[in-house]
Amino acid sequence: MAETMRPAETTELGVGPLVPPQLPLAGEEDFEIQLESLNQWQLAWRRFKRHRLALIGSVAFGLIVLIAIVAPILWPYDVTDIPGAKTYGGDAPGLAPLSRLFGTDFGGRSVLQQVLVGARISVEVGVFTMLIAASLGVAVGSIAGYFGGMIDGFLMRFVDLLLAIPFLFVILVAARFFGGGDVVTLILIFGLLSWPGLARLVRAMFLSLREMDFVQAARAVGVSDLRIAFRHILPNALGPIVVSATLIMANAIVLEAFVSFLNFGIRATDVSWGNALSNSQGYLLNGNWWWPFFPGMAIAISVISVNFMGDGLRDALDPRARE
Amino acid sequence: MSKFIIRRALGLIPLLFGIVIISFVLMKAAPGGPAQQFQRNPRVTQTQIDEWLKRWCLSADASPAAAVKEFAGWFGIYNCNTESIFSEKGGLNFLPSSLGGGGNGIIHGDFGYSIDAGRPVLEMITERMPATLMLTSIALILWVSIAILLGVVAAIKRYSFFDQAVTFFSYVFYSLPIFWLGLMMIFLFAVTLRILPPQGIVTPRAWPPFNTDVYWAAFGRNPIGAIIDIGRHLILPVTVLVLANVAGDSRFVRASMLDALNQDFVRTARAKGLPNRTVVMKHAFRNAMLPVVTNVALEIPFLFSGAIVTETIFSWTGMGLLFIDGVGARDYFLLMGILLITSAIIVIFNLVADVVYAVVDPRIRYD
Repeated sequence: MAETMRPAETTELGVGPLVPPQLPLAGEEDFEIQLESLNQWQLAWRRFKRHRLALIGSVAFGLIVLIAIVAPILWPYDVTDIPGAKTYGGDAPGLAPLSRLFGTDFGGRSVLQQVLVGARISVEVGVFTMLIAASLGVAVGSIAGYFGGMIDGFLMRFVDLLLAIPFLFVILVAARFFGGGDVVTLILIFGLLSWPGLARLVRAMFLSLREMDFVQAARAVGVSDLRIAFRHILPNALGPIVVSATLIMANAIVLEAFVSFLNFGIRATDVSWGNALSNSQGYLLNGNWWWPFFPGMAIAISVISVNFMGDGLRDALDPRARE
Repeated sequence: MSKFIIRRALGLIPLLFGIVIISFVLMKAAPGGPAQQFQRNPRVTQTQIDEWLKRWCLSADASPAAAVKEFAGWFGIYNCNTESIFSEKGGLNFLPSSLGGGGNGIIHGDFGYSIDAGRPVLEMITERMPATLMLTSIALILWVSIAILLGVVAAIKRYSFFDQAVTFFSYVFYSLPIFWLGLMMIFLFAVTLRILPPQGIVTPRAWPPFNTDVYWAAFGRNPIGAIIDIGRHLILPVTVLVLANVAGDSRFVRASMLDALNQDFVRTARAKGLPNRTVVMKHAFRNAMLPVVTNVALEIPFLFSGAIVTETIFSWTGMGLLFIDGVGARDYFLLMGILLITSAIIVIFNLVADVVYAVVDPRIRYD
């Protein structure tokens, strides 16, 4: 408590010199002091803003999400509509020259369009995989860490088991055997297999946090288990969880591209960055570099921006990192 | 120490058994099933199929009892010929052959036959192993050395231009999709500049396929030419692997070195007036290497599992490509075999990493 009123902090806030507070006695009026109080999120946002690369990353990823949402509105043509063909240019004179910006593939389809429309699947896979894996990981990790004992032993042996099997191997086998080219199935496979690392992390955080004094205090005044776990412990473990979640998201985007690249992922008729790379592979030796280059750059940019975002969040959400 | 190793090794047994069950369930739950896959291969005769089905207790019966029987047969507890837990010799089937046990099942080293190739799985895996080991071990040695060098220098010159450049490129290469990086390097060096071969282990037509008897005969006639040929094919995949992995490892080394440099004993060493070089190399570096050694031990399973991504891009006929081909052909036995062997190697090297850490760091006590 006393720490938050240090003079150094108040000058940093741009507030005038601190009036020495009189200790409030029981029953007396509160002392008046002009302090702009910032809650946890405002403090985190201030730290996040200072991390320039993280800001750039968030803006870039925001743009990619925006493109994913509006791409079909911007570009209301089927991917099989070929630039220069009558139906195409006739409908959209403004977009016809743009469509050749990144070149065209062997069938004459616009690479730019594939990059824009392909963002949908990557964003979907990244975000929903992250949501599934994060909820599972947090649930399993917090149950194991909070209750300990038999439940912990059982859950953690299961996590050990999942971590011992090479992740990429299982992903590929599952995508091939159960995938069927469907985005939803692919997201489920990625999500259901990506959580063990996060669960282990959450459990470790819970193990150390549940011994803290504030948890003992909450328990002493009779707060329920569920409320202690979610209102008292979880917010303190948020930083590492968020960072780990962004890593899962970046990983899922690359995984989708790779699995689709091997033709075990998204249906070949759907537009995704991985499919664009897959189609281009055979033509690379002919010198058609633009075809794989732009979808690959799109993957790289989304992954880099998500990683930078995670790095900034790590600094921002660490309550001890105050400068 | 030995008590610790034995306790940890015993802990591996349920883990390994769990891996066996999971890989079996994964394959069993897949649509189709081995019996159906066998029928699809035109090179296999019906008598062979019947023999295989019998040997592996495979039947069209989908009841849970049949699945348990199939699992027990695949695992080696159950003998499918005698249809009991006793082998032909009369002993319990799970015992080694020399003690009267049977010869079937993974506990006897029998991983079954590849559906697609019609050859024993173990034979296929050992045949592909040299190509993978050659690629991955060269890459691992290179990226660990480069990572140590970059990480240590970045830590010593913290916040310098060099440090920031290493940090930036680490992020970039860590984020780049490795298969796309491979494609672009093929385009640049093999298609545009034409100085390196795009794919494969050896030049086709000039050399027979790698690791065949014909190849080793040709290798014997012209070893220098053969090594140069393989070396040229190694450059691109090794570079891709090194670029992709040096990023994470150099961050790890940097963090570990910074940690060591901030320790009290380093300040003491400086206060004693030791030359900077001695402080950095003898006091800080040696301590910083402790976690790095463990980290490298954890990376060793990669040597055997193969670089799936890199091998696919460069048509490097190793373990990774064998696995990808197996996934494409739905080759159940092959996939189960590879999954099991690589998982077992991972689990064992996790134990090795723990032991190595205990050996190199005398402060750690296990009792």
